[in-house]
Amino acid sequence: MAGSVPAIQVDNLTVSYGPVPALLDISLSIPAGQLVGVIGPNGSGKSTLIKAILGFVKPDVGTVQLFGEDVSRAKGRVAYVPQRGSVDWDFPVTVREVALMGRYGNKRWWQDMSRNDYALADRALEQVRMSEFSKRQIGQLSGGQQQRVFMARALAQDADILLLDEPFAGVDAATERSILDVLTRARQSGKTMVVVHHDLETAAEYFDALILLKQRLYAYGTPEQVLNAELLSEVYEGKLRVFAALAGEPIDQVLEDARSSVLSKNKNGDVS
Amino acid sequence: MMEWLTEIHQGQGHLIKPLIVGTLVSLVCSIVGCFIILRRLSFLSDAIAHAMLAGVVGGYLLMKLAFGVEAHVGAMLLGALLAGVITVALVSFVTGASRIKQDTAIGIMYTGIFAIGAFAISMKALGKHIHIDIYHFIVGSVITVGNPELWIAGIVAAIVIPLVIMFYRELQLTSFDPVMAASIGMPVLAVDYMLTGMTSLVVVSGVRIAGVILVVALIITPAASAYLLFDKLSRMIVASAAIGVGCFWGGFWLARVAGASPGPAIVITGTGFFMLTLVFAPHYGLLADWRRRLHAVPQEIKEDVLGSVLRSDEEWVPLTQVMRNVSSPRPLVRSAIGSLIRQDLLDQENGKVKLTMQGRREARRLLRAHRIWETYLDHMGTPARELHGQAHKLEHLNDERTIDYLDDKLGHPLTDPHGSEIPEDFVDFEELEEVRASLLRKGNRAEVIRIEEAARGSGLHAGMTVSTEPRSSDGQTWTLVTDDGRQVQLAHHQADAVFVKLIQVDQKP
Ligand SMILES: Nc1ncnc2c1ncn2[C@@H]1O[C@H](COP(=O)(O)OP(=O)(O)O)[C@@H](O)[C@H]1O
Ligand SMILES: [Mg+2]
Repeated sequence: MAGSVPAIQVDNLTVSYGPVPALLDISLSIPAGQLVGVIGPNGSGKSTLIKAILGFVKPDVGTVQLFGEDVSRAKGRVAYVPQRGSVDWDFPVTVREVALMGRYGNKRWWQDMSRNDYALADRALEQVRMSEFSKRQIGQLSGGQQQRVFMARALAQDADILLLDEPFAGVDAATERSILDVLTRARQSGKTMVVVHHDLETAAEYFDALILLKQRLYAYGTPEQVLNAELLSEVYEGKLRVFAALAGEPIDQVLEDARSSVLSKNKNGDVS
Repeated sequence: MMEWLTEIHQGQGHLIKPLIVGTLVSLVCSIVGCFIILRRLSFLSDAIAHAMLAGVVGGYLLMKLAFGVEAHVGAMLLGALLAGVITVALVSFVTGASRIKQDTAIGIMYTGIFAIGAFAISMKALGKHIHIDIYHFIVGSVITVGNPELWIAGIVAAIVIPLVIMFYRELQLTSFDPVMAASIGMPVLAVDYMLTGMTSLVVVSGVRIAGVILVVALIITPAASAYLLFDKLSRMIVASAAIGVGCFWGGFWLARVAGASPGPAIVITGTGFFMLTLVFAPHYGLLADWRRRLHAVPQEIKEDVLGSVLRSDEEWVPLTQVMRNVSSPRPLVRSAIGSLIRQDLLDQENGKVKLTMQGRREARRLLRAHRIWETYLDHMGTPARELHGQAHKLEHLNDERTIDYLDDKLGHPLTDPHGSEIPEDFVDFEELEEVRASLLRKGNRAEVIRIEEAARGSGLHAGMTVSTEPRSSDGQTWTLVTDDGRQVQLAHHQADAVFVKLIQVDQKP
């Protein structure tokens, strides 16, 4: 990889909304064609990093370059799937219209959307198996379907870099698999992807490299380097509580049982 | 007040200007209103309207004191426009420069600017020069509009309507997802300015009709009605325009019939229409909501119905039997059946029901959840007599992740504690899907795709086709037969480490 221009190059990036910076002195470089996960607790600045790479938030200090060009000049090379919570699901817009937004970047303001644009939007919807819902208003879909609509928009955009903010949050297993499938295919076609991810258990499985953020850059490297034991146990602790809640009062053992299974998993490191 | 009432009676000719101005103004107000409500800027447009008082007084005084012209409409409206823009600029300055939030900043700035206007009017030194009827600006008076207002309404419409049409995509995307808009190079800030500029324009033109207090109703009320009626922005805008113009004519007529001021009458009509929409809108109205709630059936009852039909020996199951087997109130069970039929999971004929293909699949998925929970509870030492009841409650926790997790923890059992078969995980299990070999069952054929560490040296390698033999040693050993007839035995953790693509799945019906 030496010598080639990185897809994303961040240098000394500091971003703040108020007196406390959301991101502090972040420097990293992501080579083209990688699938990179961003992990970190809530409020650790993951979304802010995404917005900085999109050029939406202005850094206090530092620069973001895409393929060697400053973000402000590299418009349209990045597609983006927003965090679920940041979308107005009551907005009067249908599934097909959202997918079509992926084509807006290729048009000057006086140009109409062409039949080709509609065709590309429809094809993107097909790829995520959402064609049959194209006339629905986006609020009338399940969480997983909503996520796939925005995936379709990003695909229709056909950008070199895809940024996804928690695409797997609150989706069912089938959707998670189909999103992953789309990501894998996108990588095969040479796209660079940065994905904010909340589930440490699957992080190692899904990504080539991980970025661990909490205001500062704590770690950036292979999943093995980033997911050290301390971190794992912390996250499994949270997962245990979820399971106890799921199973309800009648079986306290769930908790105990899951804990021992986790400990044994941790020991021999097999993820099954 | 009586003056214009008698004017109307003298001849319809006097009505032409007010009607044209009113139509144009309500048209532009309700079009821009769509973006205002979607961006939650209603309060800002109200503030702009109030701040205009200062601009009107300023424009009036300037013309009067500097040129001795009385009540120059153009100057007053220009002053109003300027006051609106200054308000917006001050609001964004305050929110940007301090921790004060937008609603507070709006509240501070518009009252402050409004007060400057009120202060000037009440000052003895200035007040003696002011001979305009400020009342017109506060409640509006469409009847007295003249050529300047006609010009202004025409110009505002000629600016606003083409802008909305030309920059529809920009206005839509910056309202819906400004982050994406910025990332594809849309000038988000410029579009914001354009929208506040348009807001100031429509407020200025609307003030003559409804006055500073009520003008915001011309902007947001028709848009809000349209928002409840349509799912597409383009349709919402057209509908809002139609509703806005319709309510203007309705209100105008109401005012004539009742012998009252048109401004309030127009606003009353708009609000009345909104209330009707709120109740009767086909999707988002209260009535529709109430009907939906009436027909809503708890998911659990639907699942119980599916389970009871699946467990029956006959294909067509009498409704009476389903009612007997599902221990929920009868009306609920009946609506559950109705809802399942609408979802195409059940067929009904002559008082009997049958599972559709899709319904059978769903029912088997639930059966799998039930039996896996039972096996799990048994595993955890739950007494046998409690097994069914507990599993019956827990089976409604049937999301794939939970079930897959339990299935894996239990070593992918084939039967439940009563010896009944656990349906396979056919959510994953479709031909050409990629799964772990631990999910394979007797008779399945698959191609090996990838092998992880734990199963290296088992004699399998990528590209082989394998078929599956029955499980042995109490379901803990997987036996795969390769194309050249070799038998490979795998333990659970090894089978988990082999990824295969399904070639042939004999799904039992
Ligand atoms: N628009 C905003 N205005 C003010 N503060 C913000 C804004 N967006 C994010 N923040 C703050 O910045 C920090 C990082 O937020 P974010 O990037 O959304 O974190 P994450 O995505 O990791 O949960 C948080 O403390 C959050 O409160
Ligand atoms: Mg976030």
